[in-house]
Amino acid sequence: MTALLDIRNLDKHFDGITALDDFSCTLGEGEILGVIGPNGAGKTTLFNVLTGFTAPDNGQVLLQGNNLNRLSPHKRARLGIARTFQNLRLIRRISVLENVLLCFKDQPGERLSNVFFGWGHCRAQEASSRQKAFSLLRQVGLADKANDPADALSYGQQKLLSIVCCLAADAQIILLDEPVAGIAPKMIDKILEMIQGLPKQGKSIVLIEHNLDAVMQVCHRVIFMDAGAKISEGTPQQVRDDPRVIEAYID
Amino acid sequence: MSQVIVNAIVSAAGYLLVGLGFALIYSTTRFFHFAHGIVVTAGAYVAFALTAWLGLPLWTAMFGGIIASALLGGIIELSVYRPLRTRAASAGILLLASLGAYVALQAVIVIAFGSGTQTLRAGNVPEALPILGARITIPQIATIVVSSVCCLFVWLLLTRTQIGKMLRAVACDHDLAQVCGIRGESVIMAAFLLGSSLAGLAGVLLALDGDMTPAMGFQLLLMGMLAVIVGGIDSIPGAALGAVLLGLTQNLSAWWLSSKWEDAIVFAILILFLLLRPQGFLGKPLGKVTV
Amino acid sequence: MEYLLHVFVLVCIYAVLTASLDILAGRTGLLSIAQAAFYGVGAYASALLAVRLGAPFLLTVLAGMVMAIVISLVVSLPSLRLQDDYFVVATFAFQMIVFSIFTNWMELTRGPLGIAGIPQPVIFGWHVNNHADFMLLAAGSACCAYVTVHRIARSPYGRVLHAIREDEVLARAVGKNTLYFKVTVFAVSAALAAMAGSLYAHYITYIDPTNFTVMESILVLSMVIIGGAGSMWGPLVGAAVLVILPEALRFVGLPSSVAANIRQILYGGLLVVFMILRPRGLMGKYAFGKGGTGK
Repeated sequence: MTALLDIRNLDKHFDGITALDDFSCTLGEGEILGVIGPNGAGKTTLFNVLTGFTAPDNGQVLLQGNNLNRLSPHKRARLGIARTFQNLRLIRRISVLENVLLCFKDQPGERLSNVFFGWGHCRAQEASSRQKAFSLLRQVGLADKANDPADALSYGQQKLLSIVCCLAADAQIILLDEPVAGIAPKMIDKILEMIQGLPKQGKSIVLIEHNLDAVMQVCHRVIFMDAGAKISEGTPQQVRDDPRVIEAYID
Repeated sequence: MSQVIVNAIVSAAGYLLVGLGFALIYSTTRFFHFAHGIVVTAGAYVAFALTAWLGLPLWTAMFGGIIASALLGGIIELSVYRPLRTRAASAGILLLASLGAYVALQAVIVIAFGSGTQTLRAGNVPEALPILGARITIPQIATIVVSSVCCLFVWLLLTRTQIGKMLRAVACDHDLAQVCGIRGESVIMAAFLLGSSLAGLAGVLLALDGDMTPAMGFQLLLMGMLAVIVGGIDSIPGAALGAVLLGLTQNLSAWWLSSKWEDAIVFAILILFLLLRPQGFLGKPLGKVTV
Repeated sequence: MEYLLHVFVLVCIYAVLTASLDILAGRTGLLSIAQAAFYGVGAYASALLAVRLGAPFLLTVLAGMVMAIVISLVVSLPSLRLQDDYFVVATFAFQMIVFSIFTNWMELTRGPLGIAGIPQPVIFGWHVNNHADFMLLAAGSACCAYVTVHRIARSPYGRVLHAIREDEVLARAVGKNTLYFKVTVFAVSAALAAMAGSLYAHYITYIDPTNFTVMESILVLSMVIIGGAGSMWGPLVGAAVLVILPEALRFVGLPSSVAANIRQILYGGLLVVFMILRPRGLMGKYAFGKGGTGK
């Protein structure tokens, strides 16, 4: 597999804390990569660097060979990297459908000139976007809640919605930050099943999780991080049985 | 030229007093308390009322003005900001309420005292003493001395005392401070009372030397705010530095160009600072938005 | 009757102003205290072109709007990267600078003397020179402003504006160039405010810097917030309430100097009361300020 995402020697220090320590890894096409590690290991910082919200002190991130350095978050998103957030970011005051519609790329109605001079074209595009959004929501069973405010969904449904938003953005690489944390078992299964189906749709996933069962179940490969460094890498079983990992967890 | 410098330092002293109070309140509550401006004005006008209407001696009237300012600040905190904080108001809402309070209270002062100028001067224009080729009045000297002393006092308070630590703890994380046993609301009230007293002090001293108008607090607040932002909003020495820089800029530009443009220049400098160095000279770098 | 028409025209002019600020503060969450500056830019541009060059009304309005847009870019491009609190301070500083220019650039604006003798509008032969005609013009302008703002709010562009208000980090994470949206909405807001300024200038036929102070900015802000920021009718209701209520005071028999101050107490007091008791304003659905997880 050619490396879709090539992460090389990332360093990041905050005020005396080492968030990333010479961290390198690759992500292949159609792969589900799990990233685990104790709190404060630098996992979310890794996502922030990948998506451009934090600039690394050293190192590079290459997407299909192209250096992403200094590209702003919105440009990286347009190149096909989508993410969810640990503290679950959604626009709660607008409807579920609107949240999904927000994520579509290249909407003509988002250019001010079209709002005034191409309204017909905008309306047509918006109608087709709505259909696409509905079908995405139908696939995960949220279609009946489409017009409710995002606030009205349960926590688990909100997490599901945030993944649907990544799909709406037509992203190639989806970064999921604790997608099943804090939700009921039935919903966990539903979300994991959905994640497992994503490579068939041409997506590649990086997954941060504390739920080791979930990681074992869906990930093709796992990386264990501690204090910003990569401690272990391999199949889920290999990492689970790695004595360094066991030691780090006991500490 | 030396007169320009003297004027600059006198202005700086006034701005510093106002800025100190503003910064104290900002560091504890993390929003821009615009109504601080009217607290300045109120101090001057209450002092005026006490001496011109009630015939009280000047010192008593001045003291009364300072107390009135402290009380007004406390009342605003109690009746406006505290209810908003219990309703989890955002900083934007607090700012709007502050603007509303300012606007309403300034109109009250105009109704009570008229919109013309008044003065607290006892008798004639104070004699200007010659110093190093420039002239300076006694109230001006008093302003410089008082301002420096207060600056030192506030700095020591914030950095060396227990109370200061509590003020800064509440500023960083209200809830966490509460858990540690610090009564956030009391600390905030203390900051308001102290900050508003400083404002009253500024109002009274400046009214002594010059004229007072209902809008005086606004001008002073803006300058105080600028001084604090330029110097670094979390730094007391920075505030002093900012005030001096502001005083110098204002008076130099009045001298070189024309006094009518001094406002525009000062605000342009503020914008430059906001863009190039928002943390001011000595402030900590502003944290980036957390993701 | 003439008096009622006059009040109506004022309400319409302020309705344009509130629409202009609502799209910025109410829909996008960008609190600005500079609306009076753009209001003034439109008024002065219109007045100067009409008085000094005899330009026709529609041209002066257009010129005012273009000037406002250009100036808005000068302000917004650098300042929109500032965090909220500091952005407000930047708009404050900008407002003070513009006011200073209106007051001190005597050669252009005649400073405190103001500009008098601004001709009443003539639009393709229609002389707007009485209150009834002005009522039509003002109402028409207010409608234009509202239709514009509503179309923007209902469009995908508007959806992104709302997202920026609620959670800008999320908006950027899903691929939106939030700087583009903020700069363009600031420009639209400035253009609409300038339009209101042109209307005002040609209606009252005399302008001076005291019409465009920071207090005026705060007044427009109060109207938006009290009416209900980000809602469909809120800004209009806010404008109506805060124009009509103080006018009603005239009939209570207060001397006019006191009346002006009572008006100000009303604006300020209502703002405070609403923030505490009903932050969403009269017609709004949500309180002004960040919702969701915000930052």
